[in-house]
Amino acid sequence: MLSGVKVISNKKMSISDNIIEYKDPEIVYIPLVNHSNFDCKCLVSVGDKVLKGSVIGKRNDNIELPIHASVSGEVIGIEEKLYLNGQYVKCVLIKNDFKEKQAEFNGVKESITSYSKEKFIDLLKDCAVTGMGGSDFPTYLKYKNKLNTIIINAVECEPYLTADFMIAKLKTEEILEAIDAIMEINKMDKGIIAIKEGNSELKERFELFLGTYPNISLVLVDNIYPMGWEKHLIKKILDVKYDKLPSEKEIVVNNISTIYAIYRALKKHTPISRRIVTITGEKLKKPQNVLIKIGTSINEVINEIGGYKKADQVRLIAGGPMMGTCLDTDELIVTKNLSGVLVLPAEVPDDDITCLRCGRCDAVCPADLSPALIREYKNDYNKLKHLHPERCIECGLCSYVCPSKIDVRGAVKEAKKEIRRH
Amino acid sequence: MEFMIEKGPHIKDQDTTSKIMKRLLIALIPIIIFSIYKNGIMLYQTGSATFYQALRPLIMILLSVFTSVLIEGLFIWFILKKQKKQFKEYFKHSYAVFPGLFLVLVLPINTPLWAVVFGSIIATIIGKMLFGGFGHNIFNPALIGALFVTSSYGALIASRGGYLNLGEIDTVSSATPLTHLSNLNHIGTYDTIINEFGSWWNYFLGFIPGAIGETSKLLILIALIYLILTKVIKWQIPVIYISTVFVMTLIIGLYNDMGWWYPLMHILSGGLMFGAVFMATDPVTSPISKIGQVYYGLGLGILTVIFRFLTSYPEGVLTAILTMNMLVIIIDRLGAAVRFDLRKALLPFSLILLIGLSISFYTAYAIQPKEEGDDRVTILDINQINDNTIYHVTTKGFGGLIEAKIIFQNDKITKIDILNQNESYWLEINNNNYLNDLINEQDQISEVDIVSGATKTSTALKLMVERVLEENEKD
Repeated sequence: MLSGVKVISNKKMSISDNIIEYKDPEIVYIPLVNHSNFDCKCLVSVGDKVLKGSVIGKRNDNIELPIHASVSGEVIGIEEKLYLNGQYVKCVLIKNDFKEKQAEFNGVKESITSYSKEKFIDLLKDCAVTGMGGSDFPTYLKYKNKLNTIIINAVECEPYLTADFMIAKLKTEEILEAIDAIMEINKMDKGIIAIKEGNSELKERFELFLGTYPNISLVLVDNIYPMGWEKHLIKKILDVKYDKLPSEKEIVVNNISTIYAIYRALKKHTPISRRIVTITGEKLKKPQNVLIKIGTSINEVINEIGGYKKADQVRLIAGGPMMGTCLDTDELIVTKNLSGVLVLPAEVPDDDITCLRCGRCDAVCPADLSPALIREYKNDYNKLKHLHPERCIECGLCSYVCPSKIDVRGAVKEAKKEIRRH
Repeated sequence: MEFMIEKGPHIKDQDTTSKIMKRLLIALIPIIIFSIYKNGIMLYQTGSATFYQALRPLIMILLSVFTSVLIEGLFIWFILKKQKKQFKEYFKHSYAVFPGLFLVLVLPINTPLWAVVFGSIIATIIGKMLFGGFGHNIFNPALIGALFVTSSYGALIASRGGYLNLGEIDTVSSATPLTHLSNLNHIGTYDTIINEFGSWWNYFLGFIPGAIGETSKLLILIALIYLILTKVIKWQIPVIYISTVFVMTLIIGLYNDMGWWYPLMHILSGGLMFGAVFMATDPVTSPISKIGQVYYGLGLGILTVIFRFLTSYPEGVLTAILTMNMLVIIIDRLGAAVRFDLRKALLPFSLILLIGLSISFYTAYAIQPKEEGDDRVTILDINQINDNTIYHVTTKGFGGLIEAKIIFQNDKITKIDILNQNESYWLEINNNNYLNDLINEQDQISEVDIVSGATKTSTALKLMVERVLEENEKD
């Protein structure tokens, strides 16, 4: 039995048959950020002319990952703008010339399934393929080892979000072609697409095409949060346990939107310049999925699709309701790892109640931790180290179930810091 | 548009601590109503008590709850110095009603009202507030109060009737089922144990002597189901606790030729069910992890059996819970470690299992059935003179020991010589020729009536003759 909670879905409101392509913005703000690297190098100067897809920055360490322009135009400055974790980060401002000029590409001569592993990894690096479920982790790092199985995460267990669902629906054939190529290039035996049981629309959609790909199978997983967590997926689908990384057991897990980015890298040798973002929530006039240029300020999009419902206050959240960040402005920059923006009704803050040691957080933690105890000992390293707070995946279920409405996850995060200090 | 900030997650489960506490109170309501009925209204209806006497359980409950709420309020205002708005917020989530309410439900009906008040104050201040208030106490506050009351005033309460209400004082021969069981050295038959109190229904519905909230097992069971379905309590605790006591008493019972009714009777006796469902499951003083709760339940079961069988100490459940409360810190750490490595659970678990089984078998072996009159009649010596066998014997009478010589000839009693007696009503014995009756009807000795003006004396004499006849049979 995997730990988790059946949370509300609230996905219907943003599902549709098609996607609106948001009109491209006049200025894009490209953050000089990748995953945990917040001070990436800027490789352009004010006044430089750039093409769509040209490199304008790169990571500031050993990991080779470039940062690309999402439009063609002119670099007009560097400013700090809001990133999805709530911090302000340096961004390169590019004035869009609306010409969509990109580097020459003469097409692929060979079948993408016949690429060598080196070429595959080079393409993942050059096209800056990163985790689009939210992690922004450089994907090529996952493919350096020997691999035998790939799991494609189309679970999307966070409530409200449907961006993965939409891309799976609209780009099914492309995604399957990419998975097939990945398996061939990396000499994998098994390819498994994981979707939630109950997601019959997606199941039927995939089954239409799976006949062509006998090595790829579809597995239905429990409709609980956080079923999309790597460890839960691998345990459920393959009945395998690992310590820190799936690569220990020659397994790789990729988000389905990331697979589409891999498709673009393999097929067109280009980085993605747009992504589907679910803009949804009860306080939005018209919740929907929108295809947006990377670097767009989301307030423009929200206004374009109808804006907010009447309210004094709302909560604006970058990401899903469980792990997303609540922001104090809607001038948030769309990045590759922004899957959704929620606009929820404002709520009365909860009263402060003491922990009653009910044990609900202990029972629900997917990482088998005891959050209540970690919270009690969060400043005492000697007692803390046996409780392993560093294994916390910050899913938020502990705070979700807490009847005293304590910020349990916050306490575990502090405990993690205490562990890191030693 | 204004954007509100909050820490995530941004959706939350709708249940709150205050809602949980409300459901806990709801579960108690049938039990409270029954206790007021059984120890009050019912007595008035049957004429065992006056109207004012029948109000006693209601007054006890109101007093205890009122005291705990008042004392906690005063403590928060004057000692924690929380005033006005701060006071309101703190008090709202301090749940002051529970120490007083749980305390009174585990006390006997004959507890003096002032003792109830004292107990409620102790429960609130020592059991709860001095530890830091709600959420910080190590011991169950109500049980701290109950321990104080029963230790300090136990004899006083017993002299006023103990657990027996005005209706039971006349009809029930010995105190509670457990006291009765203890008097029988824990061994008996369905007749001597169950029927003594009427029937299984009395045990189950609650019409047996006991603390005012503890007797109705039916209502406690209903409460348990409700509390589990509405996710109020850590259900592993009562299930494991009660199961452990069941299994251990089953072993003890089977070893001593008593059937499955024996463990069932044990579960339905005393403060076990109430304690297991309401006191042991107090979230603040019980383990956080599921495996910890299992250890807790096992420990509680073993301790309860030890206290019931191997000590004459009353309030076994109360003591067991307070003892295990002390171990919760260790159990929690063990529980957290086991999550990462299930093998760590093997050693403590095997140890507990071993201890539990050993205690069960030792107890089963150690208890001896009580023979009626065992300690009342003592055979001092037996002499053979010609074909006479002379038994020199004493028996406990009304005013002290009666000393006699009973003479057998050819296995029949021919004479009873009284050597010494201090009986106030000996005249009645003589007037009724009782000693001759005993001799003449020695073949149907159990049929002999006792003398109505000297019941205790005649009973003692009859017992003496019966024992000697038994003894003579053996040779």
